[in-house]
Amino acid sequence: MTRYIIRRILQAIPLLFIISLILFLLMRSTGDPLAMMGGRRATRPEDRERLARQLGLDKPLYVQYLYWLIGNDWTKIDMDGDGVAETPGDRRGVVRGEFGTSMVSRGRPVLEMIWERLPNTLILMIPAEVIIILFSLAIGVYSALRQYSFVDHLVTALSFVGYSMPIFFIALVSMYIFAVNFKRWGLPYLPTVGMFDPQVGKTTGQVLLHMVLPILSMSVISIAGYSRYVRSQMLEVIGEDYIRTARAKGLPRRMVITGHALKNAALPLVTIVGLDIPLLLGGAVVTESIFAWPGMGRLFIDHVSRADTPVVMGILMLISVAVVVSQLVTDIVYAWLDPRIRYT
Amino acid sequence: MRKHSLYPLLALVAIVAVLFTACGPAATEAPAEPPAEEAEEAPAEEPAEEPTEAPAPTEAPAPTEAPPAERKVATFAWTQEPDSLNPYYTNMWFSSITQQLWSCWAWEYDDQNAPFPKLVTEIPSMENGGVSEDGLVVTMHLRDDIIWSDGTPITSADFVFTHDMVMAESNVVSTQYPHDALESIEAPDDLTVVMTFAEPFAPWQATFWKGILPKHVLEPVFEAEGSIEAAEWNRAPAVGCGPFVFAEWESGSFMRFVKNENYWLGEPNLDEIFFQFVPDDASQTAALVAGDADLGTFPPLSDVPTLQDAGLEIVTQNSGYSEGWYFNFREDTAAPGALDVRVRQAVAMALDREAITQDLLLGLTEPAVTFWDSLPAYVSPDIEPWTYDPEAAGQLLDEAGWTDTDGDGIREDADSNDLVLVHGTTIREIRQDAQAVAQQQLREVGIDLQILSFDSDLYFASYADGSPAALGENDIMEWSDAPYFPDPDTDYWLCSQIPDDENPWGYNYFGCDETLDELFQRQLVTVDAQERTEIFHEISKYMHDQVYWLGMWLDPDYWAVGPRLTGVKFSGVTPFYNIIEWDLQ
Repeated sequence: MTRYIIRRILQAIPLLFIISLILFLLMRSTGDPLAMMGGRRATRPEDRERLARQLGLDKPLYVQYLYWLIGNDWTKIDMDGDGVAETPGDRRGVVRGEFGTSMVSRGRPVLEMIWERLPNTLILMIPAEVIIILFSLAIGVYSALRQYSFVDHLVTALSFVGYSMPIFFIALVSMYIFAVNFKRWGLPYLPTVGMFDPQVGKTTGQVLLHMVLPILSMSVISIAGYSRYVRSQMLEVIGEDYIRTARAKGLPRRMVITGHALKNAALPLVTIVGLDIPLLLGGAVVTESIFAWPGMGRLFIDHVSRADTPVVMGILMLISVAVVVSQLVTDIVYAWLDPRIRYT
Repeated sequence: MRKHSLYPLLALVAIVAVLFTACGPAATEAPAEPPAEEAEEAPAEEPAEEPTEAPAPTEAPAPTEAPPAERKVATFAWTQEPDSLNPYYTNMWFSSITQQLWSCWAWEYDDQNAPFPKLVTEIPSMENGGVSEDGLVVTMHLRDDIIWSDGTPITSADFVFTHDMVMAESNVVSTQYPHDALESIEAPDDLTVVMTFAEPFAPWQATFWKGILPKHVLEPVFEAEGSIEAAEWNRAPAVGCGPFVFAEWESGSFMRFVKNENYWLGEPNLDEIFFQFVPDDASQTAALVAGDADLGTFPPLSDVPTLQDAGLEIVTQNSGYSEGWYFNFREDTAAPGALDVRVRQAVAMALDREAITQDLLLGLTEPAVTFWDSLPAYVSPDIEPWTYDPEAAGQLLDEAGWTDTDGDGIREDADSNDLVLVHGTTIREIRQDAQAVAQQQLREVGIDLQILSFDSDLYFASYADGSPAALGENDIMEWSDAPYFPDPDTDYWLCSQIPDDENPWGYNYFGCDETLDELFQRQLVTVDAQERTEIFHEISKYMHDQVYWLGMWLDPDYWAVGPRLTGVKFSGVTPFYNIIEWDLQ
């Protein structure tokens, strides 16, 4: 197993290099950062020429990628447009741990911007994912064990309704019910937007209070979908011979369900959750926008709309690394769940 | 792997999650060194752990004076977070309009969009000798009582420094306009600034001195680092010159400004203002209705009744923008119908713009006549607005040789070419609604209006990036825009701005009219106000008669003002010009 892990890590290096190249080319092909810099008026040609030179956007794509990857402090650039490259570069490049500075929030290091938002995203997404997994398992198992009961039918109907609703609808409805109307009706109410009330401050209580609606909105759809998945997997597993054998041997019901059935039924769910985990880092764009949650999703959408390549590349590479790592973790968890799986 | 060895990993994940909760990065705050007032220092370095209000912070020092019994704290819902607060590193409206809180302009504009002196004793003009006869030299005399929030006097050196920073190549500012029109700038004494232009530059009053940089704060940064691009001041301008002082910026969440007790025009009524970033329109409405915010911007028109029912007032203020149809008259790309002035005039008479404004815009605005409706002094008094007269439109089309010979309801020319016009705009809902109505109305006079809509990123891209408008694929293009308000200048119709392979960034997607081009070029260098006004009368009349631009509706700024706020007025140029008078009841 150790050799397998090391081999996977080594394989990830060229993989991430290829991913970064593809993403960079895609980013530079979509949108013109200079067009946005004029604000309410079109960027003047003379400003465009100057900014392209000063931001290195006049260089060929492969040179821009090279500077992004290994920096440009080993060369000089022409900042003043006199045709002479006399200004030393100041970028160290990704391989030396520097993702550059934002073109939109000029001069701000990308890593600093990501680090400001990443904890906010994890604060929201990790509890949401835990709640989704726990509730999906509970509801899915319960439904499977009580197939065709009233509760099963009710859960099925609610799942279809929940899964059908777009997240922005759920988010806005929950906001209007629990924040706007509850306040109007004199009931205890939840806050509308934000991660905390700025006038109170970023206290634990404030953050928890503000997390309720975003997590509720994100959870509804995922629980609806995942619980159906767990239910169908459980139903399939419950009918297997080894479950019948376990029951026949007199094992407690709880052990049959959790120790044998659920463990096998959860294998596909591990794959799904494993794919979800890296996406946690990217945040939830719609949820963060509606609830004004200051997370990675909003950072991404704000900067991709303005073609801010350094920031977007930083976020995408973070997610890419997370995907590679999470897939490795998924494989390890697989081996833990299923003793038949062994890696060499 | 043994199954139990996984539990430490899960525990580690949980611990890391808790650590992330506890160790969020600090908000960008005002640095401690310019202690203009106590509230600025309250959130020392970890606002994550304490309230931002003055009362009893656990680690911050106590305020230097007892806080008032009830602090007047207003919250503004801001749908876009600024990219920078340095006026020369941003072109975002949501950033620049905050400057009337914490920064200062040489002159600002009131609710009639009329300029009034702020840092200067009077606005330079030829009458008061501030502008030379040839228009090349502008002399400003500063007030002698203006100071930065840290008590340092504002002098002419700050103006010269601002210019130098804009022009420094290492600073990578968004635009060097209009500073690159200056030949020189001098400060003969602390209270005098002399600007000399290489050639007459008529828009100087509307374009210069929108935010002054503090030399005593930024010059050391420039000297140490060779650039102010990464200066802390850009995101935490603790030293300002407005009625409020920057206090805190929590990325993604809010900005906070507190009262400037060194403000030379007196103390504002409000103690603190929060700008809470709420990117979604529906969420902004919810926050306003719930009373979580006192002010909002550009609420969706469909939400206006809801806001009004909740006690908010919708205030509109002209800021130069008008929604209009831009006609393509480029001979190489426009349809034959679009090239015929009589067809364009017929279109103007076939559209019931009054009904469109009433039905689609809830009567909150009115039809626009010219591109300069927000600057009525520049609009020719001889213009007779096009009125809704489909019968007259039909007659004009008949005269132009467009008749429906095959009875399909669409007119053709002598060569049996259908009268088809391609209309393009963005996917914004109000525009798509207007397109549908226009299509129906033009059909009634025999014009086939083919409507297309595009994502704004694509539509407003350049010729080089394949924008349909830039490539001339549309005969009529619709969007909202303004001259360089409050200046009437615009370079939209300059012949030199037509994009092609050699000039892929040009933005004249409409066509080259030599008469119009000459007029626009002449007005730019005409510093005599009366003469310039007369040129614009010519321009506006000519464009109106040629129907190069057909106004759909005036597009003012919309503000949703909460019931707590009083004393509120807005300007179209400097919206918060009277923020010092705002109060909470």
